[in-house]
Amino acid sequence: MATAPRVDVGSDYKEKYGFFVPEDYVFKAKRGLNPEIVKEISWMKKEPEWMLKMRLRSLEIFRKKPMPTWGADLSVIDFENIFYYLRASDKQSKTWEELPPDIKKTYDRLGVPEAERKFLAGVSAQYESEVVYHSLHEELSKKGVIFTDTDSALRDHPELFKEYFGTIIPPADNKFAALNTAVWSGGSFIYVPKGVRVDIPLQAYFRINAENMGQFERTLIICDEGSFVHYIEGCTAPIYTSDSLHSAVVEIIVKKNARCRYTTIQNWSTNVFNLVTKRAMVFGDATMEWVDGNLGSQITMKYPSVYLMEPGAKGDVLSVAFAGKGQHQDAGGKMIHVAPNTTSTITSKSISKNGGRTSYRGHIKIYPGANNCKSFVKCDALLLDDESRSDTYPYNDVDAENVTLGHEATVSKVSDEQLFYLMSRGIPRAEAETMIVNGFIEPFTKELPLEYAVELNRLIQLEMEGSVG
Amino acid sequence: MAITAATLGRTELQGEPGWLSDRRRAALATYERLPMPSKTDEEWRRTDVSGFDVSAYSELEHREGLKLDAGRLPAGVILKPLREAASENRELVEPRLFSLIGSDRDRFNALHAAFFTGGTFLYVPDGVVIEEPILGRHLSHAGGNFVLPHTLIVAGRGARFHYLDEYIGDDSEESGYRSGSAEIYLGEGSEVGYVSVQKWGRNAWHFADQRAQLQKDSTLRLFDVTLGARFSKTRVEASLVGPGADAELKAIYLASGEQFFDFHTLQDHQVGNTRSDLLFKGALQDVARTVYAGLIKIEKGAARSDAYQANRNLVLSDHAKATSIPMLEIDNNDVRCTHGATVGPIDPQHMFYLRSRGIPEATARRMLVQGFFGDVLDRIPFEHARTLIEAELETRLG
Repeated sequence: MATAPRVDVGSDYKEKYGFFVPEDYVFKAKRGLNPEIVKEISWMKKEPEWMLKMRLRSLEIFRKKPMPTWGADLSVIDFENIFYYLRASDKQSKTWEELPPDIKKTYDRLGVPEAERKFLAGVSAQYESEVVYHSLHEELSKKGVIFTDTDSALRDHPELFKEYFGTIIPPADNKFAALNTAVWSGGSFIYVPKGVRVDIPLQAYFRINAENMGQFERTLIICDEGSFVHYIEGCTAPIYTSDSLHSAVVEIIVKKNARCRYTTIQNWSTNVFNLVTKRAMVFGDATMEWVDGNLGSQITMKYPSVYLMEPGAKGDVLSVAFAGKGQHQDAGGKMIHVAPNTTSTITSKSISKNGGRTSYRGHIKIYPGANNCKSFVKCDALLLDDESRSDTYPYNDVDAENVTLGHEATVSKVSDEQLFYLMSRGIPRAEAETMIVNGFIEPFTKELPLEYAVELNRLIQLEMEGSVG
Repeated sequence: MAITAATLGRTELQGEPGWLSDRRRAALATYERLPMPSKTDEEWRRTDVSGFDVSAYSELEHREGLKLDAGRLPAGVILKPLREAASENRELVEPRLFSLIGSDRDRFNALHAAFFTGGTFLYVPDGVVIEEPILGRHLSHAGGNFVLPHTLIVAGRGARFHYLDEYIGDDSEESGYRSGSAEIYLGEGSEVGYVSVQKWGRNAWHFADQRAQLQKDSTLRLFDVTLGARFSKTRVEASLVGPGADAELKAIYLASGEQFFDFHTLQDHQVGNTRSDLLFKGALQDVARTVYAGLIKIEKGAARSDAYQANRNLVLSDHAKATSIPMLEIDNNDVRCTHGATVGPIDPQHMFYLRSRGIPEATARRMLVQGFFGDVLDRIPFEHARTLIEAELETRLG
């Protein structure tokens, strides 16, 4: 009888993903956060005056805002002990060959060149705080698509940049959005012109690679009317000993009849605090889809949100969280129905094991006048042992007429019947459990491009190893 | 005029034992110490109490306002006003009174503990079964004052009985301060049916805490009906502390006009092999608003717990508003927990079906609302209460 093939991912994890390359920085800012550091960052980047002003104003807001008291415990973050800006090499490399060897080695391990050879349209790979390697497919430029790092966008497309930057997530939105606006660096900038469909997913790998260093990337995506783009951010990070902060801001505008999909596989090392603000504004008959997987980090607080601004807009969040030992994944989604005849769905799948904690936290808000809206939320949680924990905190506010809103959630363990069935077919228990877990998150994996789905299945396998005895 | 120790002194309930007066004074001190709940407290974010001025209602309406009605009670059963029980059955009352609902959770909880008036004490000894339901009717006849009944129920091992609290006021009366709290202790293997029907006048401010504690193999069937008051905040909580405990918490509410209802529920599974089943169903008309927030909590060792929680809202008017927040905190993997919430209007297909059969719209609407409540009405634990509640709904749905 055939047995399931053993995929031995765990044995070489350390050399495969647990590497780090010795630091060799051209410029390294001092630790801590004050107006001087912010001015220095802005000066280093040769930014226009308005950006410097915005950064300084945001720093003030950051200082005034209290730490959030809900969700995960953030009191251990020491904002004074973080590098707010690093740059690995002075100028951007145009081709793979030009990249410094150290960085190339890192990417070799991540498999970037291979992916590029295959079908990547453009890789905007972020090493440390700034994009150092960047290639853009000629076809995209011909269509008028802009895919660049956010710093270059500010330089090369100042008008477009200024029109949208900070309009979806203003600095005063929350404490970490303010922090990001004050010290942001790197990230991706995408503009898709009217009616243009980008058939290949645009991807960016980025990683954290210095102790006590924050990543504050800033991503801005503009989908003009009738366009389509799929952006993928994925990350694996080396393992370090002291806490690291990642606080990104992602702003997306989806205009009439356009569609945008944003896929994330977050696999920071388990000492990273991942506090991210992601928001999309969606206009008439347009669609926004967040596909959000959280596997790594110590603490993640992330609630991708969609503001449905005009009739016919549609929002979709598909979220998967996996929490192992010492991890707390506080994830979910927000759907803000501002206009009538808008629809939204949130599907959340979470898995906790070895004392890990997953929390679904969501908000459905339907404003007065946003009549005839439909919203549905489904949360499933799987607890793999009795040390782990799962919470569900859905907030539903309906202020409009003729609204249909539903919420469903279940929490359970791996079902004994399913396990028995597989084991009676001669599949060892550990493998059977892995299969069940992979099946549980299948609605998520099937939305991913093939190589990501494979990678995710492997990561789950890796996480599952030794989890059952 | 503010509520002070003098108010307490003036309304001093004669014949009360010293221990109870001491507790009232302590609760009043707690009340004075606690701040008014603000919009930054999660529990009160959607619940506005800024229009509530306690001092406007600093007069006590009556010391009792309670009518108790029961058939012939078996020997050993104690049924009497709580005030009397406090001195005559001190050993039973003192350790239990306010130890479930507390007297310091918030200002209103403390105020209730300081000023509670009337209310019932029911003690059913081990093994005693009472067939006829016991009825407690709490009455209010005028506004501008406070009526704060408190029910304390103790079920001995294997005891079995039904109890109904009915809160009755007149819609035309002025606004007043009302509560209707209950503490229910279920001994091993006991079975208790508890129903509360809140129909205070439409101008009342109502704050209630209901909490049950279930020992091994006990069964609670609780049914709550909220119809009255301008503002109503009810906490319904069950602590399952013994294996085999089974709590059924069901409620219906019908909010119309400018009514605001708030429900906070807790299913606290402290040990394993316990079961809880919660269903809150409400219909909203006019510009009424309701908030439901419920939590299933499964503690670490509570394996093989089975918990269900659902909140269904039928929004009958374009301007009514329902908020629903069903929450889970699960600390054990060997459990089955499911919850769901819905907010929506009458299904147009259902309406179309009835209308196509020639049923006038108003009638069809009433039928659909009755049908909506139907499955939960079946769970009313005893006949007397069911008749009463169905009649009440019939009148109100007109």
